[in-house]
Amino acid sequence: MTTEETILTKISEPVFNHANGRLLMPEERYWPSRKWKSPWSLPAYRSGAALLAGILSGAVLAAWLIGEIPLRLAPLYSLAEQYALSYGVPLFLFHLAWTVIKAALLLAVPLVNALFAVWWERKVSAHIQSRLGPMYVGRFQGCLQTVADGLKLFLKEDIVPDCADKLVHLLAPVVVVIPAILVFAPVPFGRELIYADLDIGTVYVFAVGGVSVMGIIMAGWASGNKFSLLGGLRSAAQLVSYELPRTFAVIPIIMLAGTLNISAIAGLQAGYWGGILPRWFIFYPVVGQVAFIVFLIASVAETNRVPFDIPEAESELVAGFNTEYSGMKFALFFLSEFAYVLLSCLLMAAFFFGGGEPPLPFLGFLPSWAWFLAKTLTLMFCFLWFRWTFPRFRVDRLMDFNWKFLLPVSLLNIAAAGLLIWLIS
Amino acid sequence: MKNYLSFVAEAFVNTLKGLWVTLKVMFLPTITVQYPTEKMVPYPRFRGMLAYDAEACIACGMCVRACPSKCIALAKAAPAPVPAAVEGQPPAPAVRSGPKIEWYTIDYGRCNFCGLCEESCPTKPVKALWHSLDYEAVFSTREEMTRRWKRGDTLWGTARGSADGQFAPVADQIHIQDVPVRK
Amino acid sequence: MTDKTSAALKADQMFINFGPQHPSTHGVLRIALTVEGEVVVKAAPDVGYLHRGMEKLFEARTYSQALILTDRLDYISAMHNNLAYCLAVERLAGVQVPLRAEYLRVLTAELNRIASHLVFFGTFAVDMGAFTPFLYAFREREMILDLFEMLCGGRLLYSYVRVGGVSADLPAGWTEKCREFIAFFKPRLKDYDTLLSTNPIFKSRTDGVGLISAAQALSWGLSGPNLRASGPDYDVRKAEPYCVYDKLNFKVPVARTGSCWDRYYCRMLEMGQSAEIALQCLDALAAPELAPEIMTKGVPKMLKPAAGQAYAHVEASRGDLGFYAVSDGSLSPYRMHVRGPSFLNVAILQEILTGCKIADVVAILGSLDIVLGEVDR
Repeated sequence: MTTEETILTKISEPVFNHANGRLLMPEERYWPSRKWKSPWSLPAYRSGAALLAGILSGAVLAAWLIGEIPLRLAPLYSLAEQYALSYGVPLFLFHLAWTVIKAALLLAVPLVNALFAVWWERKVSAHIQSRLGPMYVGRFQGCLQTVADGLKLFLKEDIVPDCADKLVHLLAPVVVVIPAILVFAPVPFGRELIYADLDIGTVYVFAVGGVSVMGIIMAGWASGNKFSLLGGLRSAAQLVSYELPRTFAVIPIIMLAGTLNISAIAGLQAGYWGGILPRWFIFYPVVGQVAFIVFLIASVAETNRVPFDIPEAESELVAGFNTEYSGMKFALFFLSEFAYVLLSCLLMAAFFFGGGEPPLPFLGFLPSWAWFLAKTLTLMFCFLWFRWTFPRFRVDRLMDFNWKFLLPVSLLNIAAAGLLIWLIS
Repeated sequence: MKNYLSFVAEAFVNTLKGLWVTLKVMFLPTITVQYPTEKMVPYPRFRGMLAYDAEACIACGMCVRACPSKCIALAKAAPAPVPAAVEGQPPAPAVRSGPKIEWYTIDYGRCNFCGLCEESCPTKPVKALWHSLDYEAVFSTREEMTRRWKRGDTLWGTARGSADGQFAPVADQIHIQDVPVRK
Repeated sequence: MTDKTSAALKADQMFINFGPQHPSTHGVLRIALTVEGEVVVKAAPDVGYLHRGMEKLFEARTYSQALILTDRLDYISAMHNNLAYCLAVERLAGVQVPLRAEYLRVLTAELNRIASHLVFFGTFAVDMGAFTPFLYAFREREMILDLFEMLCGGRLLYSYVRVGGVSADLPAGWTEKCREFIAFFKPRLKDYDTLLSTNPIFKSRTDGVGLISAAQALSWGLSGPNLRASGPDYDVRKAEPYCVYDKLNFKVPVARTGSCWDRYYCRMLEMGQSAEIALQCLDALAAPELAPEIMTKGVPKMLKPAAGQAYAHVEASRGDLGFYAVSDGSLSPYRMHVRGPSFLNVAILQEILTGCKIADVVAILGSLDIVLGEVDR
């Protein structure tokens, strides 16, 4: 019988089928007790931290170089206008073309967002769970994984169950995804960076966003699957009830701002108290924080994410309303889910975190869209973080939580906001 | 009311604590093995694919009897011809050249990886049948799972083809004899 | 509205096949649910999808060969199955076991209990919708599997405990690794408590859900943490100590109300106790009078017990696991009966599922912690 030492010298040469693998000897097994003892001594950990710092500083530099987008575009726009007019193109035609371009850019927002957010969610969830997540597609940290997945979904067979209501089954993802795109129209992405500066922007966002519930109910009903049906019914109950505290949470902000225009609300928060504390609505005592927390919780519920993902509760209802969807139809549900996550984060950034205003006076050298993006991404990280930490509510507790806690709190908060306005004036 | 408020406060604090736990782990090193580019070498006692050494085998059949799932079969070599007796001399002993076994097969599809055959193998100093550290076995057909050594083969592990039922070396397949580890 | 749709709307009860292809039935269990909206009216667990005729297979194998079948019963805690089987056969054949092997049996059994309860913790968290604790649990379980791989070569199906002892002594460096694991594991238990046990969402879903009274638990024959969560303080390790459990100092956690949370938390506390037992065993194994010796002393290769019968049971991760062996004096058992805890635990579902929500079905099923390999045998 050979000793263990001689065995180990023998297997130091590749013994397995594929020669490309690095052999992990038994004594270098990845025991967390060893890896976590002094993480900074691990080369991979140090290089990862350096990479992260590099990406961050690169992004800051790029944002600083680009500057305010409307300012950069203004000369371009006037140049194009003059050029078009000199060729005798009617002005309304030019404006039409400009609107179409803007609409196309707006259409790209949910798509690009889904591509990025899915990848980011996978990376965040992986690191929360001590994993690495996608690492192969696209070389750098699997950054093209979502593109590959999207291609796969495109090529997949579109399966319609036999007992499904064919027309409704087809329409449901469309009904879900159209409002998810329309809803971005009055949402600012920075100072002056907005598709349609609606005066009733807040109302528009909540009204259009609410239409998607119809699609989910349709999907649940049309699939002809009992689990889908339960998922659809659950989502109807959940989304309709969480609309209320979500809207009520914004009312104090509207009262304080005195306008429904989202970009105006964001612009109102410029400036600093005592030169340090930004005049963001979240820093208004009690009212701001409570409104933010209620809005955050209700937004998580509105976007059907853990801990409020009971419509698609995997362990109970298999996949809920999208059990019977495959291929691109499934991708549309996914797209709209992430579009609503982005929308919630943009709204929160605009309502509570001052939109494009920098958090400290001396940080004003970065353009407003960069701050908007940074705030949105930070809030989006919170969504992902919640998802990978919490268990799921039960359907009746969810309703209890909404009607017996969130709604009264948001109503009280409106009263508190009135009190605050009275005190200030 | 006071109970209710303290319950809400406690729930809020516990929720934040949970978030803190996951956030901490997020900034700790990952512990997974990136499998195709990193391959774990098992500990020496690992029970991987069975490997067989015809040179050491004495064809006693202990492994056949020990196996709970009857996945091993073998045939002893025919007794060596006794040399013709020469007048006036003591009879010469029968000398056999090569292994004492004619053929030996293992059906990996039935193998339990329990190690009882290896324990029962009586040959010394090395066992004729042992669990190697190989865990990357891939079979594309059931027939391929039956591996054979036959007198005259240089390699252990020719497989039975699914089309003709004949034993032949498998292309692009692990040759278990390539695994040098033995216990 | 047509007649057809109005008739469909009138149907107020719905029949749902919960499983066998459902993601949270922990294998291939089917529960035939009749629901009104989200409330369960009638539930009937349907088992047998994994039936392999285990008890009959025992009769066609010798005593040493049959050991590997026990691995495949409750494959999450194979060490306990090995142990119960070997205790029964040893009692049948009158075999003595060396003291060091007894300590090794207890040590590995307790480590396996931790591994098994970690799987429970993880899968229960997944049932509750939290995926991250699952991977945390498997991270720690992986360390135990590494230890077992180092010890006996198997990561899931160990065949480590043998009739008359164990298959091998501790390899070099194992004790240190085991201590390292336990030192790493104990603070993780606090993490688990923060992540799940005290989480308000988790508590609201499990506390007061799926109540099993002590009388119900006893009459349905529950055992293990499921029984102790309802109140009765029955643990085979204390009631009928086997191996060296009477020399070890440990507590048995007992709860009162028998809710899902109690069953869950009993297991969490048991993990801590198992770690303590493992430490005590490691200390005892280091003592000079327990120096390594031959691990299976004086057991013939072909075991041939005299005609007779024997029963031995152990406290497995899921409860009271018993083996009843009957010998007719031949090389293989005449009859081998397994008293599996999971099989008895799953039976109570039909009583406690009535009246709960569909989400609670998952919680209750998860909290009972069944392994279908043992239920169906």
